[in-house]
Amino acid sequence: MPQVPIIMPQLGESIAEARIIRLNVAVGDTVTVDQEVIEVETNKATMGVTTLCGGVVTELRAKEGIEYPVGTLLGFLEASEEEVARTGAPVHGDAPKPTPEKNDEENLHFQLSDQSYEEPKEIEPSVKGLPVPAGTKGANYISPRMRARMDDLGLRGADISAIAGSGAGGRVTVNDLESFLEYVETWPSSKASPMRLAVADAMRRSWTRPLASVGLPVPLDKLLDFRSRQNPKPGLTLYVLRAFALALSEEPATAGFLIGEKVFHPRALDIGVAVQVEDGVMVPVLREVDKKSVSELTQSYAELVQKARERRLPPEEAQGGIATVTNFGTFGLKWGTPIPLPNETLILGLAAGIKTPKWSDEVGAFVPVTETELCLTFDHRVVDGGGAGMLLQKIAQLLQNPEAL
Amino acid sequence: MSVTYIDAIHRAQQDLLREDETVFLYGQDIGAFGGAFKATKGLKVEHPERVLDAPISEDAMVGLAVGAAIEGMKPIIEMQFADFSSVAFNQLVNQAGTHFYRTGIPVPITVRMPCGGTPGSGPFHSQMVESLYGHYPGLVVATPATVSDAYHLLKQSVMLADPVIFCEHKFLYRWLKSAAIDEEALPLGKARIVRSGKHATVVTYSAMVHEAVRAADELSKEGWEIEVVDLRTIKPMDTDCIIGSVARTGRLLALGESFPWGGVTAEVVSRVVAEGFHLLDAPPLRLNAKDSPIPYHPDLWAAHRPTPESITQKLRELLSL
Amino acid sequence: MSEGTVTESVHTQLDRELLRQVYRSMILSRTLESKLSSLYKAGKVVGGVYLGLGQEAVSASLGTLLKRGHDIFSPLIRDQAGRIAFEEDLLDATRTHLGSVKGPMRGRDGNVHRGRPREGMPAMISHLGTGLSFVAGMLLARRLRGQLAGVVGGISIGDGATSTGSFHEGLNMAAVEKLPLVVVVTDNQFAYSTPRERQFACKSLVDRAIGYGVTGHEIDGTDLVGCVKGMAEAVGNARKGGGAQLVVARLLRLCGHGEHDDASYVPAELRESSLGRDCLEVGKEQLLSAGMVTTAELEQWQLEAAEKVQTAVAIAQKESGPDPYQADWRSTSTPGMQA
Repeated sequence: MPQVPIIMPQLGESIAEARIIRLNVAVGDTVTVDQEVIEVETNKATMGVTTLCGGVVTELRAKEGIEYPVGTLLGFLEASEEEVARTGAPVHGDAPKPTPEKNDEENLHFQLSDQSYEEPKEIEPSVKGLPVPAGTKGANYISPRMRARMDDLGLRGADISAIAGSGAGGRVTVNDLESFLEYVETWPSSKASPMRLAVADAMRRSWTRPLASVGLPVPLDKLLDFRSRQNPKPGLTLYVLRAFALALSEEPATAGFLIGEKVFHPRALDIGVAVQVEDGVMVPVLREVDKKSVSELTQSYAELVQKARERRLPPEEAQGGIATVTNFGTFGLKWGTPIPLPNETLILGLAAGIKTPKWSDEVGAFVPVTETELCLTFDHRVVDGGGAGMLLQKIAQLLQNPEAL
Repeated sequence: MSVTYIDAIHRAQQDLLREDETVFLYGQDIGAFGGAFKATKGLKVEHPERVLDAPISEDAMVGLAVGAAIEGMKPIIEMQFADFSSVAFNQLVNQAGTHFYRTGIPVPITVRMPCGGTPGSGPFHSQMVESLYGHYPGLVVATPATVSDAYHLLKQSVMLADPVIFCEHKFLYRWLKSAAIDEEALPLGKARIVRSGKHATVVTYSAMVHEAVRAADELSKEGWEIEVVDLRTIKPMDTDCIIGSVARTGRLLALGESFPWGGVTAEVVSRVVAEGFHLLDAPPLRLNAKDSPIPYHPDLWAAHRPTPESITQKLRELLSL
Repeated sequence: MSEGTVTESVHTQLDRELLRQVYRSMILSRTLESKLSSLYKAGKVVGGVYLGLGQEAVSASLGTLLKRGHDIFSPLIRDQAGRIAFEEDLLDATRTHLGSVKGPMRGRDGNVHRGRPREGMPAMISHLGTGLSFVAGMLLARRLRGQLAGVVGGISIGDGATSTGSFHEGLNMAAVEKLPLVVVVTDNQFAYSTPRERQFACKSLVDRAIGYGVTGHEIDGTDLVGCVKGMAEAVGNARKGGGAQLVVARLLRLCGHGEHDDASYVPAELRESSLGRDCLEVGKEQLLSAGMVTTAELEQWQLEAAEKVQTAVAIAQKESGPDPYQADWRSTSTPGMQA
């Protein structure tokens, strides 16, 4: 038979609880609908809790003298199906009423919500760092519309650098952009290859950092002599790559990268080599260069470079590098400021070996020396000029002992 | 023979009274006297039983209108000045505005609100009330700027099943003339591009439409093309038209004659920022009246509300960003 | 019933059937309200419960003298008896109180605010006095449509409402428009907890009638026969073209403002005075002594009332409340007006 709950009613608009004064019935008693079965007392009045239908009291949880919050289940009646149907009383299992918290206001016209929100004692500043003057006239910014139009055209900040802005503070407005686009449309143009776009994207992202370059002249005669006696002959770049790795193994943090307030160190000295391909550059990566000799690396180096030239390099073999070596000397260049990949801090450039007269105290005359320029570009947030110089000196030293490489 | 804005309101009421027997007019001094602004001149003679002088009881005037509307009538209440509707505020927002939601029974009343300033009218005969009533659910708020809209929007308002706050601008009453009333009416709820342009959009309504056009004229001498949107009704607000215009120009000035805190201009900016942020090439700007009661002296009054000069200045600022 | 016949018969001799009808509504009202109170105490009522205990004679007299489908009756919060007399379905009361979506307000407005405006019963708002002009407007509409003849609009308010500007504007307007509006002020001594001397300074509110240019009537709200007689006179006057009427009934509210209020501010001497009499007790004596009803009949009416109430409660209690996820939030009847 259905069980009909007896609950502590809301006896006032703001009453949260009431004390049971007397139970007018006992378990087993037969009651009728609307009978006052329990007498309760609030701080305002004494009232009776009524039944929603007739039946037999089967359970009384409430005890005399105890205060119960509104909505508390005080007991049960067992009623016939007919009686429940006649009165429409809810049976056990119907959703219970939520129990309101204590509320001290009395006799309010309407119930006030006690679901209060406590104001935090101290307000945490939502912006850290120096106060930034906001909203000043002439602030340089990219408007939402400008941003949307640039996204639409696939443009980046670098693409609009050529546009003289007419907005406040020289800001480039959408009208400026549209005028510029109309202007450049009159120029001959061609579609950039995906390779070109990939390099452009990497260089643009890298260029957001403060990059600095340093250079050091290094004599190559010993290295060239040693190399000429090897079979197969390893590439010159490979010796530089190996020297770079050994130098870094002493100070790996030099190749670390900065994110927020942390410097992340290299997990392994995997170093890439820049390979010029049609309309771009690919960078295959040699693994753990500090742990293998040049002769051990020669074969895999040659294969990687070959795959890169043929554009058959699997992506995983171009990933995970911590620094890169680029031999722009092959183009006869005497120096350069290469740009590291966006996820790397260092790039070491190798210029052309050039035979130059050098004064020799031993011989007492000018002697011909083959010399190259090692050019290191670094993220100045991570490395300073001193660290970069020491690294270059170390590489130069190692290159003077090619047999140890 | 040209038609003034007040002529259009008069003619709309005359036509409504002739065409629909359930229409009646209730307001102070609107009978034999013809109303404070003569919007009902002669109508009492034509319809003695349906053009009634009211006691000075704005609350009861609106309460009476709601009761009559429930019984199938289409009352037009004339507030002598929109400012006095504050006395009827309760009946407007709590009786009329809630009725359909509460009971499912619509309340087809139209409350004519002569609003906005004229020189020398002072703090209690010059107020704009559209933002106030637009805030409340259940009310439609019309703000006609042209002679044809004064006519057609009033007729549409009266025929609408819901309560309409009809804000007619007193400055336009006799100042604004048109050769004729357009045959065709735009639907209630649609905004209109009054003037097309490509450099900036001014979204406005009521008398400020004309001030905005003057400012646009001034700037056109320098080659600026300013688009002017007339909202026509501030509730419903034709967001699509506003966004469409900002899509063309990228710059927004929301212009209104009411007080600056919140209100229609803030609503316009909020909608554009939320739905058309990517269209904005400059921060959206607002221009309203000053945050003070409306002054009495004509010189103070003229400086209190936006003028072609202050609108031009604001537009220059917008265009320079 | 055609207009005029009821009131004419009352003028000559108090109509037996009319009195019996009024009293029967009073019994049903008291039974329903005691059930609503009980449901409230069992935690079943959505919102507050405001009862009309002690005010049944006034309320039912007005409701009975107004004819549904012909007249207008604008009840306030203590007019359960008048609503019953005006043939409001008991289900309207139980459904709103128990939160059923099938009630006339569909969960959108509360218990005593319920109404059926298209059927001559406006749905009051909480702002007191606003109903006077509303009913005046309904009557004016009837006049403009040529349907006012013999129609009366009755509105019930309390003494507190007479302090509002709306009351003044509405009564003045109805008087100016010469509308058949019967304003029944039940002066129950307290507006919530504020005694009448903090509400108005005139000796009796009926004194205001002359100021508004309407006919005033003063009745003892505890006296059934007096109520029916006075109300019939007022309604009859209005029906015959006598313009607006102001009826002031004095009595004591026999309950708190709402069921959350135990009315402890009511002094004992007032409860024990003749104002504190229960109109149901007084009416019972009057009807029995006049031989208009028998004890057996009264018992039968009581039983019938209990049965009707129980049925209406049971139906409403089984119905579900409004579903917030299905709500359309439409506040205008014309689509597209909320953009």
